Amino acid sequence: MELFRRNRTFILLGSLPALVLYVLFVIYPIFRSFVYGFYEWNGLSEPTYVGLKNFQEILHDPVFWNSFRNNLLIVGVSIFGQIPIGLVLAVMLSRKFPGSGTYRSIFFIPMVLSTVVVALLWSSLLNPQVGVVNQFLKQIGLGVLAMNWLGDMRTAMAVVCGVIIWQFSGLYMVIFLAAIQNIPKEIYEACSLDGVSERAKLLHVTLPLLWPTVMASVVLCIAGSMRSFDLVYVMTEGGPAHATELMATYMYNKTFAVYKYGYGSAVAMVIFLLSFGMILAGQILMKRKQDTV
Amino acid sequence: MKTSLRRGLRHILLFPVTVVYVFPLLWMVMTSVKTNQEIMYSSFALPRQIHWQNYVEAWKTANMRTYFMNSIVVTVVSIVLTIFISSLISFVLAKFRFRFRNILYSLFIIGMLIPLQSILVPLFIQMRFLGLLDSLWSLVLSYTAFGLPMAIFILESFMRVFPDEVLEAGILDGCSPLRIFLQIVLPMSRPAIASVTILSFLNNWKEFAFALIFISEETKKTLPLGLYNFLGTETNNYAGLMAALIIASLPVLVMYVFLQEQVIKGMTAGAVKG
Repeated sequence: MELFRRNRTFILLGSLPALVLYVLFVIYPIFRSFVYGFYEWNGLSEPTYVGLKNFQEILHDPVFWNSFRNNLLIVGVSIFGQIPIGLVLAVMLSRKFPGSGTYRSIFFIPMVLSTVVVALLWSSLLNPQVGVVNQFLKQIGLGVLAMNWLGDMRTAMAVVCGVIIWQFSGLYMVIFLAAIQNIPKEIYEACSLDGVSERAKLLHVTLPLLWPTVMASVVLCIAGSMRSFDLVYVMTEGGPAHATELMATYMYNKTFAVYKYGYGSAVAMVIFLLSFGMILAGQILMKRKQDTV
Repeated sequence: MKTSLRRGLRHILLFPVTVVYVFPLLWMVMTSVKTNQEIMYSSFALPRQIHWQNYVEAWKTANMRTYFMNSIVVTVVSIVLTIFISSLISFVLAKFRFRFRNILYSLFIIGMLIPLQSILVPLFIQMRFLGLLDSLWSLVLSYTAFGLPMAIFILESFMRVFPDEVLEAGILDGCSPLRIFLQIVLPMSRPAIASVTILSFLNNWKEFAFALIFISEETKKTLPLGLYNFLGTETNNYAGLMAALIIASLPVLVMYVFLQEQVIKGMTAGAVKG
């Protein structure tokens, strides 16, 4: 057995395929991304070293800061939208009743659809010509509210946030449902024996025991929101007039629309550092809070 | 009395949420069997007769057939590659002893934290250098490479708890490590392999960003990319678009209907760990 465990040939041959693929298409590109960030390069001619110029330019570009703000907005909307909605749904569905399984299945459907499908579906629903939203508003006498939802700078970002909530609330519901099911039944039984009311059970047993899961979900929201790209790219491409620009769409436009590969790589690095920073900050903040509670 | 009141209240609260979730999906189905004139006239009205033609046209003239086939090829090949490569290294990581074991393991696990955007640009340059742009291989290789961390995480933790006696039996019979892997370890890992398969299937089928930057040729597009360009070529054909969205989602929806528990469990675990 010991001999078997130290079979060098098998260890080497067994790890090699995964390692080669992973280094070639994940690790190496990350390092290259760090290098390209210091170069000016249109993808064709020789790259020229420009030091920190790309980074200075990013930090002075109001469009980038606007996109960062939009990312923060999505983080906020996710934390204060998806998590509470998911929590409420989970609490309501945690006790089996006729139809509870069906509700759960329905709320999770958007998670299995491609984000492109979700984006195109909602774009059509909100479309001024064929969409139902405007038509519905007209029918109930609120025709004045009908507008070009995605084409209007004032509403585009709100619409995007709404669709994000629609898409992901089901995920948090399922996460919280699993956590509720892990709470030992004995605790609730003891409560019932002591005559504790349903509301007290929820406030003093369920919610405190769910707190660690809520914290984990906050981190998940931050990580997910910092990387969102597909939905906004398909629905608005960052427009109108950069109103819905996110860091990732900004990077995409800079790289593949105007061929500034070096600049795009620098943006990628900034995204990388900002999201790691935020995740870290989130975790530290919540740890401190947990200690004081 | 009180409980029935509470029960009623629960449905009253859940009903509006359900409408917000179900209505868009029903509207998509309804619109996919209307004519475009009917949609222009009223987007609420039911179709006067079921117009299956939209599906036929999306499938044939709007190239959905090509995208669908490409998606199947890319998804299936990446899944097979991911499963084989990751279970092999997971077996090594779980049951063998060597000096760099922990470093190797951490290297892969860290990968779960890497945001895809941060390597989009360099990976594009890499693919161009390798001459893989506009080839389905660019997608297969990047999906496989990106799927490895999660797959290794799931498979390694599953294999680690295999009792050594099982392996010893194979060793005593004089089997090579490869045979033990193929004939004992792989069959025993079936539940974990199933989770990895479901997760990779969903991820690869839905993926958009990589396809967007690697593929521009019409004949190589996968479904999400093809859908994205749909209205560009089929201007204002919303009926066709809805049919196309349904065609593209059918495989994942069928899987969701039949394997709901596994899908939900897999995606939740994937989200929390990723």
